[in-house]
Amino acid sequence: MDRFKAVFFEEATTLINELERVSLLLHNNPSDSSIIEQIFRIMHTLKGNSTMFGFYRIGDFTHHFETLYDYIREGKMSVTDNVLNITFASVDHLRVLLTDVELENSVHKINHENLIRGLIEVLNGTSGEESIKNNSSDHKIENKVSDSPTYWVKFVPKKGLVRKGTNVLFLLDDLSQLGATYTVSNTERLPDFKKLDPADIYIYWEIYVSGTVTENSIRDVFMFVEEDCELEIRKISETNLLDQDGFSAIARDVSLSIDEKISKFGGLVTNSSSKNRMKEVRSKIEKANEKSIVTSKDNSISSIRVASEKLDELMSLVSELVTTQARLNLVSEQIASSELVSISENIEKITRQLRDNTFSICLIPIENLLVRFQRLVRDLSTQLNKDVVFVSEGADTELDKNIIENLADPLMHIFRNSLDHGIESGEERVKKGKPAQGKILLKAFYSGNSVIIQIRDDGKGIDPEMIRQKAISKGLITADQNLDRRQIFDLIFLPGFSTAEKVSEVSGRGVGMDVVKRQITEIRGEVEVESVINEGTTINIKLPLTLSIIDGLLVKINATHFVIPLGNVDKCFEANHEEFVDKINDLIILDGEQVPFIYLRDEFDIKENCPQLHQVVVVKQDDRRVALSVDTIIGEYQAVLKPLGRLYKNVDVISGATILGNGEVALVVDPNRIIKEYIFNQINNEVLQ
Amino acid sequence: MSIENLNVSNSYLSFKLENETFAVTVERVHEILEIPTVTKVPKSPDFMTGVINLRGNVLPVIDTRIKFGLAKTDFTIDSCIIVLSIMMENEQITIGALVDSVQEVLELSSEKILPSPALGNKYKAEFIQGMIKNDEHFIMVLNIDEVFSINELHQMKENTSETII
Repeated sequence: MDRFKAVFFEEATTLINELERVSLLLHNNPSDSSIIEQIFRIMHTLKGNSTMFGFYRIGDFTHHFETLYDYIREGKMSVTDNVLNITFASVDHLRVLLTDVELENSVHKINHENLIRGLIEVLNGTSGEESIKNNSSDHKIENKVSDSPTYWVKFVPKKGLVRKGTNVLFLLDDLSQLGATYTVSNTERLPDFKKLDPADIYIYWEIYVSGTVTENSIRDVFMFVEEDCELEIRKISETNLLDQDGFSAIARDVSLSIDEKISKFGGLVTNSSSKNRMKEVRSKIEKANEKSIVTSKDNSISSIRVASEKLDELMSLVSELVTTQARLNLVSEQIASSELVSISENIEKITRQLRDNTFSICLIPIENLLVRFQRLVRDLSTQLNKDVVFVSEGADTELDKNIIENLADPLMHIFRNSLDHGIESGEERVKKGKPAQGKILLKAFYSGNSVIIQIRDDGKGIDPEMIRQKAISKGLITADQNLDRRQIFDLIFLPGFSTAEKVSEVSGRGVGMDVVKRQITEIRGEVEVESVINEGTTINIKLPLTLSIIDGLLVKINATHFVIPLGNVDKCFEANHEEFVDKINDLIILDGEQVPFIYLRDEFDIKENCPQLHQVVVVKQDDRRVALSVDTIIGEYQAVLKPLGRLYKNVDVISGATILGNGEVALVVDPNRIIKEYIFNQINNEVLQ
Repeated sequence: MSIENLNVSNSYLSFKLENETFAVTVERVHEILEIPTVTKVPKSPDFMTGVINLRGNVLPVIDTRIKFGLAKTDFTIDSCIIVLSIMMENEQITIGALVDSVQEVLELSSEKILPSPALGNKYKAEFIQGMIKNDEHFIMVLNIDEVFSINELHQMKENTSETII
C-alpha cells in the first residue's frame, strides 16, 4: 500500500481509539465542555486527514459528525443519550470504514447511509433514534437489509446514445452506489455481426436495486439520458430479494417477462421466511468472521508506537555498549589472543549494526513538523492580510527526533519573520512586478552527514547596508570595520540586533535571530542568511543527522586524542614538518593540488614533542577543502558524544568529548568551526596588515 | 536525621595550596580523586586544566592554584582532585578542583566560623565565606559558587597585576 495511506490508517486508528476513549468520558460527564471540545478536534483532524488522502467517504461522514459536536459546543444542542448512542455507533462505523474504504460490503454501505441520515436527523432536531437502533446490534442488521425494498429497473438505451459521449457503464456504476444491485445484461437486440456498427449500442440492462432507494433516486441517475433511452422502474418487493436463494436464477431467465418474475420472486420470499432464521444465524457468523478479520489485521500491523523515553533509553544503552566495545577492542589487542580478537571484531560488527538500527528508529521525517507551519502560514497570512503560499520540498528527509523536537521553535521564528518582515503586501508586490501571492519554500535535503533545511521567501530581502548601519548604531561593530557580505549577514544573529523598524505582534518581540542561532547551535547545527534585495531571503540551516554517536577518525596530537567526524574527512596524506612551518601562503601541495592548511599544533597551542613526519587529514566543508595537520592517525572510531559542559561553552572548535577504550578522554573537533575561525582570523590579519 | 544534617552542614574539608589552607563545606564534596590522565581542551583559559573521565562522564577540572593566582607546579603524590558540585547560572554542575593536597575534615559548630576580616584584601570578600581558627592557623572557608564560576575575569585577587604584599 501507498506509504502515505499507511500513515493515514495508523493515525486514523489512533484517533478513533482516542475518540472512543473520550466519548466514554463524555458518557460519564455529558456537560464537560473540554471533552466536547476534544471530540470536536479529533473529528476535525480525522476529517482533514481523510479528505487530504482522498478518503472522501470518511471525510464526508466525519463532517456530519463534526457539525453535530460543533452545535453541541456552541450550546445549540445538548448531549443526550441519543447523541451518545449515535457517537458510539459512529465510532464503530469509522473502524469499519477504515477496513472497507469503498464500502464494498453492502451491509456496511447501508449502515453508513443510515448513520449519516441519523446524524442529519439529530442535527435537524428529530430523533434519529431509528437509524441508530438499526445499527446497534447484529441481528437488526438483518432486519434492515430485509427492510430495504427491491426495485427493478429496465434501461434500454437508444442505439445512438454512445455517440453523444455518454458512458453507459458510468450510469450503471452510479446506480450501484445507491444500494446492492444485481445487473442482467440482455443481448437480444444484438444484430448479425456483419450488420453490427461498433459505434452503436445494442445491449440493454435489467438492474435489480435494493437499499434505501426510491423511484426518484433511481430516476435521478438517468436524468441526463432520459431522452435517449427507455426507462422502466418498478418496485417489485418491500424486502431485499437480492439475498434470497434462487434470486439470480429467476433474474437471469430472459424468457420470463417482469410480471412473471415478480410472481416467482413472491414465492421466494414466502419460501424463505423459514430460512430467515438460518440466514440470521449465518449473518451473525459472517459478522463474527468479519470481526476476527479486523482483529487479525490489527495484530499484523506494520508499525507500532513506542514511548519516546524508551527510545532515549535504548539509545543511551547503545551508547554505553559502543563505549564498552571500544574497551573490549583495546583489551583484546593487548592480550593478543586471536580467538578473543575475532570475538571482539564480531561484537564490533553487531554493535555497529545495532547502533545504525537504533539510529534509524530514532529518525523521523521533517514532514512531522510541516503541518504546523502550514497552519502558521495560513493563520498569519490571514492575520497580516497577505496572500502567502507555503511549499515544501524533501519533506521525507529524516532527522533524529531530538533534533526535530528542538527545531520547531527556531523554524517557527524564521517563518514568522519571513511572513511579517519578508513578504510584502499584495499591492506592494504587484507594484514591484512580482506575483501578488507570496511564497515561502521549505526545502530539506541530505548533504554528506548533514541535513540542510532551507527556508526561502520571495519577499523584499534584506539590505546589507541597512544591517551594517544598524549594527554600527547599536555599537555591535565600528564604522571603519571592513566586513564582507557573509559577515554582514552574520550580524543578524548577534544578540540585540532586530532589524524590524517597528515591533509588531507577530515577530520582533525582543527575541531575535540570536535566539534562533542559539537554539540551532544547541543541536550542533549552523545557520546562515543569504538575501537579495527584492528577490527574497534564504535561511540555511545545517544540522547533524544525529546527536549522540558519530563515526570519526581518531587522531593524536602530542598526548591528546582528537576525533574528526568521518563525514568531513576527504583524504589522508603524509607530510614533512617543514612543509608547514615558515610558509607565507599556508598552502600545501597534495596530489598535485594546492590545498590551504591549518597547522593544528599552532591552532591548538601544542608545542611539545613535535614529530618530523606529520599526517594530514583533508577535510571537506561545503566545496572547500582544508588540510589539518596531526601527529598520527590512529584509525576509525565510533565516538559516543559527551558534552563538555557549560564551563567550555566558549570553546566552539571542540564540539564535545568521548571516552576512549583506555578510559582517556578524546576531544571531538568541529572542522567547520575550525575552518570558519581560521578564515575569520586571516581576514582580520589582512586588515591589520 | 536533623542532627545528622546539622553535623554534615558543619563539616568542612580543608585543603592546601602552597602554604595556605582553605576549606569547603563537605555538603558540596562528592569525592576525592587521584589525578588521572587529564585532557587539555585547546583554546580554553589556563586555569581550566582540562577534562577527565569520571565513570563515563566528562568532568571539567579547574586548577585551583592558577585560579588563585599561584604559579602552576608539577603534580606531586599529594596532588588530587576534589569533585564538587557548584551552582552556575542557576544550574548545578559538577567540577573537579585540582589542589596540592587535602588535609582533613573539620567538624565545627557554626560559631567557630568567624566573619572574614576586611583587612588585607588579599582575596575578594565575596569569595570568602568566613574564617576558621584552627590551632595557630587560619583556614579560609570558600564560597565555591563564586570561586569556580566560569568567568575568567573573576580572579581570586582584587587585581592580578599587583603583587601580593
